[in-house]
Amino acid sequence: MSLTFCIIFASACGVVLMRNPIHSALCLIVNLVAVAGIFAQLEAHFLAMVQIIVYAGAIMVLVVFVIMLLNAKQEEGSYSTWLIGLLAVVSGFIFVDMVGPLLSEGFPQSASATDPTVGTVEAIGRVLYTKYLFPFEAASILIMVGVVGALMLAKTDKGKQG
Amino acid sequence: MDPVSHYLILSALMFTIGAIGFVVRRNAIVAFMCIELMLNAVNVSFVALSRHVGGLDGEIAVFFVMVVAAAEAAIGLAIVISLFRTLRSVETSDAAGLRL
Amino acid sequence: MHGEGLTHVTHASLGWIPFFPLLGALLAYTIGQKAKDMAGWIATGASTLSFLTVVYFFFSLPAAGYFEHNLFEWISVSGFHADFLFRFDQLTAVMCLVVTGIGSLIHLYSVGYMAEDESRPRFFAYLNLFLFSMLLLVLGGNMLILFIGWEGVGLCSYLLIGFWHKNIAFAGAGRKAFVVNRIGDAGFLLATFLVVMHFGTIDFVELKGLIAGHSEALMTTIALCLFLGATGKSAQIPLFVWLPDAMAGPTPVSALIHAATMVTAGVYLMARMHYVFDPALAPVAMLVVCTIAVLTAFVAACVALVQNDIKKVLAYSTVSQLGFMFMAAGAGAYWVAVFHLVTHAFFKACLFLGSGSVIHACHHEQDMRQMGGLGKIMPWTAATYWISTIAIAGIYPLAGYFSKHHIVVALGDAGMSNPSIAAWDTFFGVVATLAAIMTAFYVTRSACMTFLGEYRGHAHPHESPITMVAPLVVLAALAFFGGWLLEGPLSLHHYLGAVIPVGEGGHGESIIASLLHSWPGFLGVGLGVVFYTKLTVIPQTLSKTLPQLTQILSDKFYFDEIYNALVVSPLQKGAHLLWKKADQAGIDGAVNGTAAVVDVSGEIARTVSTGQMRHYALFMFIGTVFLFLFYLVL
Repeated sequence: MSLTFCIIFASACGVVLMRNPIHSALCLIVNLVAVAGIFAQLEAHFLAMVQIIVYAGAIMVLVVFVIMLLNAKQEEGSYSTWLIGLLAVVSGFIFVDMVGPLLSEGFPQSASATDPTVGTVEAIGRVLYTKYLFPFEAASILIMVGVVGALMLAKTDKGKQG
Repeated sequence: MDPVSHYLILSALMFTIGAIGFVVRRNAIVAFMCIELMLNAVNVSFVALSRHVGGLDGEIAVFFVMVVAAAEAAIGLAIVISLFRTLRSVETSDAAGLRL
Repeated sequence: MHGEGLTHVTHASLGWIPFFPLLGALLAYTIGQKAKDMAGWIATGASTLSFLTVVYFFFSLPAAGYFEHNLFEWISVSGFHADFLFRFDQLTAVMCLVVTGIGSLIHLYSVGYMAEDESRPRFFAYLNLFLFSMLLLVLGGNMLILFIGWEGVGLCSYLLIGFWHKNIAFAGAGRKAFVVNRIGDAGFLLATFLVVMHFGTIDFVELKGLIAGHSEALMTTIALCLFLGATGKSAQIPLFVWLPDAMAGPTPVSALIHAATMVTAGVYLMARMHYVFDPALAPVAMLVVCTIAVLTAFVAACVALVQNDIKKVLAYSTVSQLGFMFMAAGAGAYWVAVFHLVTHAFFKACLFLGSGSVIHACHHEQDMRQMGGLGKIMPWTAATYWISTIAIAGIYPLAGYFSKHHIVVALGDAGMSNPSIAAWDTFFGVVATLAAIMTAFYVTRSACMTFLGEYRGHAHPHESPITMVAPLVVLAALAFFGGWLLEGPLSLHHYLGAVIPVGEGGHGESIIASLLHSWPGFLGVGLGVVFYTKLTVIPQTLSKTLPQLTQILSDKFYFDEIYNALVVSPLQKGAHLLWKKADQAGIDGAVNGTAAVVDVSGEIARTVSTGQMRHYALFMFIGTVFLFLFYLVL
């Protein structure tokens, strides 16, 4: 349990601290898989699978592919230390502000919280294709637009010349 | 299963690390990965709270966040590529054309 | 007393009178762009058509009545209303005949005079536009329509004085005329406001019935305000200074606008609103009118004595003659004022056109010292000029005698109806007679210097073309017989009796008596001829022995200088002060200061905007944090 937490924290720090982008990407993959583990712990099985397939699988492959394609070298130069210091203070604020009150107040827990059938693929599918049908279709259009947009952005002008 | 507050602390930490990374790192691809980190932080708290209150709405929201993340990955990386083509660099500090 | 028993007929065709020149102006300008020579003939045709229409109305006008034509209801506000109304009565008939008749002749003349000018379409368009405005002025059935015409003629006058606008001095003369006229217009407007306030109507006929029983102070104020308007338009002291400068315009313009028609608008106004200028209702105002008129006539005549520019002589002569008209009006003899207006239009238009003919012949030389001996070269011009000279001098039986004689008689009788004037009428009589003698003298002087002796210039003068000579002959004939016709067979006195009080008038006298009454004219002409042909030493000696006097006269009594010192330069200094201090330092300073503050603060703020995406993200996070803090604290 706390092991997963530690992996997540360490790999997240790795994403930021690694100088080589490819190392950052590998850290991120570890992080995402660990998050999938968290999802599984929370009995969100469907999301745990999607997390691995979509994030760790598709998106990270794309990222690594782009890093390789661009042959991005190691970042030269150093991070400005005052910036890191400032950010540490800021992040401290965020940490305390966001979580502090929640911890102190606590949450009411519902009766169904422990029901193991809630996060199954069947349950998710049922809700997704009934209550959230329209957002689901809209999401598919969004994906399609994203694909077309990515094509338009990434393609060179060779097509016009040919 | 841990209490929900643990997940929230984890989520806050992840988000903060992602935010610091986005501000500190100059490599556009790493910045992009930091955004993914922040999105995941949000996802974790969504799922945790969803379990805590016992509904599916939070998990559906996570599903849509993933959809947006996928679209964003496609577009964002395409932008990184065309940025590289124009500037021969993926440093965000080189893409400072917003200021005259 | 004249309000009752008048029949009025609605006549829908009155609008045609001003319509023709308006159309002519449009056509002359548009067609003139393609065919420049057409412009003059179009304008002349429009003017002639208008004249023929007027003649038709003149003959169909009933003996005691008038035509009315209400185009539309213009303004109607809580009890006050003003129609776009034309009214054609006997006074309007006379004015319309003069305006369109002489206007047509001058249009014809201009065809010859302006034949070589590049912008003649513009010239003829303006000239027709002037006729349109002037006809609005005399046809207008209420003060507002009259005022439209009043402003319209002022505008056309300005445009035509500055017609050769590439010459800065000419453009300045136009501006001066405009500004000085504006002062008078303010008086007219004030009078209109007073009338609306106290009578509730501005219709001339309705007004006439309401006038009785109002206080002397009110009537005097209205009369003086109207007279201020008249002094502006008709170039009387203190607002006469623009007219001599107005000679910058082409000579036909001087003849039509600044001699025959527009400048007489003030006289027309007094005749039209004679019930306001009633000796019984506003005696003090009438005294003021008479004093100003006599002074103007005298001062302008003095200045005319020493002018060497032929048009300047005629310009001051016009001022002086307008003074004579106002004398008659001030004495309460409005029909005499109109009589002199008509005869003056004849001979002064003829004189101006004659001078234009001379100037045309001498290649735009206006200095009489560069002329002389032109009588042999330009017999027609010389003959018509001499006839008009004798006419303006007031020698029987030419036109000027009749009207001037009536003026002298009216001035002598004025004291009987108006006790305010009684104490002054001897003085008025003497000064007016002196002015009449000087009139005869200076016009004769100009004729002698121009047409007699030897030619002193360097150009090659020639007689003018037929289009210019023909109007001269017609006008000279009118200047010769016009007075006699209007005195006897056509009897203006009787004719105008239908609209304005005319008194006794018309006591016939023998030819011998008339010749004797012409003595100021004979004296002036005689002296002029003797001084400027035989005994040229006398004027030369006079100017040498009295250099200061000559200087004062040729500097026009320093009117321009005094106005400059008292009015123009303080205004300019004030304006300059406002410009430099209030506008540039104050308003501009405030605006520029605001801009500078924005500029500096922008310079400071733009350091935040680095163009670095990471910095923007940082600001965003900081903002989010503070937003959280804000909610949590609340």
